[in-house]
Amino acid sequence: MINTEILVIGGGPAGLCAAAEAAGHGARVLLLDDKGILGGQLIKQTHMFFGSHLQYAGTRGIDIATILIDNAKNAGVQLMPAATVTGIYEDGVVTAYTDDKFIKIKPEKIIVATGAYENMLAFPNSDLPGVYGAGAVQTLMNVSGVAPGNRVLMVGAGNIGLIVAYQLLQAGIEVAAVVEATDKIGGYYVHANKIRRMGVPILTRHTVKQAWGKSGVEGATVVQLDEQFRHITGTERNFAVDTICLAVGLTPLTELLWNAGCDMRYIPALGGHVAWHDENFRASLENIYVAGDADGIEEASSAMIEGKIAGLNAAKNLARKTNLTQKLYDERIKDYHGQLNQLRRGPFGEKVRMGSGMLTGLPPAVDAPIESLPTDYRAFPAGARVVIECEQNIPCNPCETICPHSAIKVGKDIVNYPTLDPEKCTACAICLTRCPGLSLFVINKEFSETETEVSIPYEFTPLPKKGDVVDALDRQGNFVCKGKITRALASKKFDRTSIVSIAVEHKYADTVRHFRADGAPKPEPRVNPPADIPGDMDAIICVCEDITRRKIEEAIDRDGAQSVDEIKRLLRCGMGPCQGKTCQRLIMQILAKKLGRNIAQFMPQTYRGPMKPVPLGVLAKANDEEKN
Amino acid sequence: MKKKTDVVIIGGGCIGAAIAYELAKKGLKDVVLIERGTLSCGATGRCAGGARQQWSEPANVLLAKASIEKFKNFEKEMNRDIGLVNGGYLLCAHTPKEAEAFKKNVKMQRECGVNVRIVDPKEIHEIAPFLNTDGMLLGAHCPDDLHADPFLAVQGWAENAKRLGADIELHTEVTGFRKNGSRVASVITNRGEIECNWAVNAAGPWSQIVGGMLGIELGTYAERHEIAVSEPLQRMLWPLVVDFHVSIYFRQSAHGSFVFGHGNPDEKPSYNIRGSWRFIEQISKKLTTLMPALKDIAIVRQWAGLYDMSPDAQPILGKVSDDAENFLVAIGYSGHGFMLAPISGVLMAELIVDGKARTQPIDALSIKRFQGEKKHREHNVV
Repeated sequence: MINTEILVIGGGPAGLCAAAEAAGHGARVLLLDDKGILGGQLIKQTHMFFGSHLQYAGTRGIDIATILIDNAKNAGVQLMPAATVTGIYEDGVVTAYTDDKFIKIKPEKIIVATGAYENMLAFPNSDLPGVYGAGAVQTLMNVSGVAPGNRVLMVGAGNIGLIVAYQLLQAGIEVAAVVEATDKIGGYYVHANKIRRMGVPILTRHTVKQAWGKSGVEGATVVQLDEQFRHITGTERNFAVDTICLAVGLTPLTELLWNAGCDMRYIPALGGHVAWHDENFRASLENIYVAGDADGIEEASSAMIEGKIAGLNAAKNLARKTNLTQKLYDERIKDYHGQLNQLRRGPFGEKVRMGSGMLTGLPPAVDAPIESLPTDYRAFPAGARVVIECEQNIPCNPCETICPHSAIKVGKDIVNYPTLDPEKCTACAICLTRCPGLSLFVINKEFSETETEVSIPYEFTPLPKKGDVVDALDRQGNFVCKGKITRALASKKFDRTSIVSIAVEHKYADTVRHFRADGAPKPEPRVNPPADIPGDMDAIICVCEDITRRKIEEAIDRDGAQSVDEIKRLLRCGMGPCQGKTCQRLIMQILAKKLGRNIAQFMPQTYRGPMKPVPLGVLAKANDEEKN
Repeated sequence: MKKKTDVVIIGGGCIGAAIAYELAKKGLKDVVLIERGTLSCGATGRCAGGARQQWSEPANVLLAKASIEKFKNFEKEMNRDIGLVNGGYLLCAHTPKEAEAFKKNVKMQRECGVNVRIVDPKEIHEIAPFLNTDGMLLGAHCPDDLHADPFLAVQGWAENAKRLGADIELHTEVTGFRKNGSRVASVITNRGEIECNWAVNAAGPWSQIVGGMLGIELGTYAERHEIAVSEPLQRMLWPLVVDFHVSIYFRQSAHGSFVFGHGNPDEKPSYNIRGSWRFIEQISKKLTTLMPALKDIAIVRQWAGLYDMSPDAQPILGKVSDDAENFLVAIGYSGHGFMLAPISGVLMAELIVDGKARTQPIDALSIKRFQGEKKHREHNVV
């Protein structure tokens, strides 16, 4: 039995920050993560982060992971990667499976920072190899260095879908299209713009209808949706793709919290069931804290602060007095809550503000008004100046922080639009390499008598060479004109974002925002689905046990099942190794639709340990050791 | 929900569902089965699903024998697949004392007409090639025993009861009774009152609470039993194996997964159904000792269920009090409700419709037995 004061479950941004905070005040902290590499999703994030410098904005996720791991190590946290927590038991014992051993830990406080898991979509042949969650695609590409395929259909235009589409393009993989079921792009427009200007269409009110292929995906049909999200017949479009990437949202990973017996609430704005917790992230069981996506889907930046709040409070409430003084506690807690509120401002924070309100039963925090967009925002500057194309209230300010001439102003309220003081801007372009949205450009209208030089942030290799003639593209990726490369700058200082400048005719100065060096893309190949694609009712819902939509609908219609548990008993849905992570949400959706009820009325199945399969031999060995 | 009916059955587990079906089959269709949650949500849905005739008490042997005959015909009669594995039961003896008891039991069971015999370790190996027979003196093997999926069996009884006219009311919890002299006039539920001629307590581990609502001390109590399941494998074991010495039972289900559990002598009466980490460690040790080939196979889930224990580990059937003459019980199955459910349904239906159990005498299972001196405790309990 391992004794520790604080056990942190999960080594992502929330867990690492929680552990470092608590250990920093003198608490004995052990952190477990089921993956071999710590950092959670950060290790897959090759893009720069939003937020403020306090959450490492403008730094790439992979580099933030390194910083946070170092912080935790330096604070004295004992890190145990590749250790999967399998249960939180009644006697307060936490069990884990690591290195062919089944270990038991008796902590005083537990911080659950287990993150989230990906939602799945069921359509005919959605169980074909080549249908991935976006997280799997990122792991393959960015952790293992393996291309998931050659041509991808991305499903979902939230930030994850947009970012992964961009990363696929960076890896030299074609993205045929991004489809989004709702009528608007859910992610930041700056992320959308990055792929749009490379010619990737984003089809809103569209979804994937079916896939086909013999031993893997060979194609997919996309269909338009009406207001009730029903397929509009006759709008089908077929794409020759070998990969379908699903980025259709995340669900908080709360199985351990259910297992421990925490009071759980269904809060759609937070992504599903979450543990009730107070403003300091303490759950209904007083020794359990939550942080990060596990308590509601949000950004990594807020996960870090939630982790710090949870870690701070766990340390404060230990039986032993640590070196955390009340004064320091008061200072920190005020600071962290301030940072969190700041990140949750603006339209992108609305969901989580509402969700937190529903969770605590308090009215959602009223968001103070945000500065409106200046009317002269797009006013074209004279001479060489930075042009800012960031038009949403994203909590983000690295442009302001990095500008050596204080020419860009966001202000204390980091959801404000950045504005440029043209008098101060020297067009040094350093800000281009720090904007996580790649939404800053330098336009030099005085480049020559006939030409304007457009400088763009560029994250692809190889870099073009000075003098190359390329196709200049507009914001939608359409060909505008030929342009000549005037500069291609890469520097260590730029942190892997290069600056490429193209000379185009003056009249295209406000049109050209990208280029391609390899000529016009091939037209979309014409493909037709084979005749033998199974119907919608044959889509596999429970992948572990191979249960189709038809069987589930029969269990409801014929056998009278009205709950997830009854369907589980009848069909074995959710009895496989994943314990319903794939199918449960889909089953609740089917139940809600068929019975005409709100999805909030359905309870998930009971989560049972061990949360991940543990070999009998390993447990038997632990039993021998327990006796000794 | 009906306001008036002939029979109210309390409990939607295997016993209640089987009684509802057998009543309807006998033509008594005015039956309302009330279930607090959903079908099988109590003890039935948590049990391992074995059915054996190898008992130490003749009354249990005869009940089980009749049940097994009904199980063998279940899929045909109910038009529902219940994951039946006709794999028999293999009981293993390690000590001379156990071996002697096995021999005595087998003799008695054979006299009851059960196809059971003593097997030596070599024969055990033939029956279960992956079983580690080290230290085993002999076994008792009954190829006619079987195991099945309790969820699906309850579904089968319930849907056929409904088909024949019975009502099944889920999310309906009994909260009390209205009496009229020495009779139960109606069952009061969270969804209203049902007037009835008969009230049947088939509430499993909650039977004592239902009895308490009438002021009747039934003597039953709930006890936690833990259980776990592995990932699925190709068929490698047919019989359900019971080893009383090690205290374990395990079976490979129709689905391919191994289901295994044990009895914990230190377990105190309670309604706790949380699993413990000690259990999965202990049971893994036992299982991998008896089935070494499973050591790399993973446990995917553990859970716990409640036995409705009676003082002698045998069921209590029939009338329990002169103060409630139309209140019947089918309780106290002590972990063996599933295997006795088919015959319990028949006997209880006979008791209600015909006034007495015809198929088999049930006097020995009356609650009155606890008033006398002599008690025959059932020993073959895991």
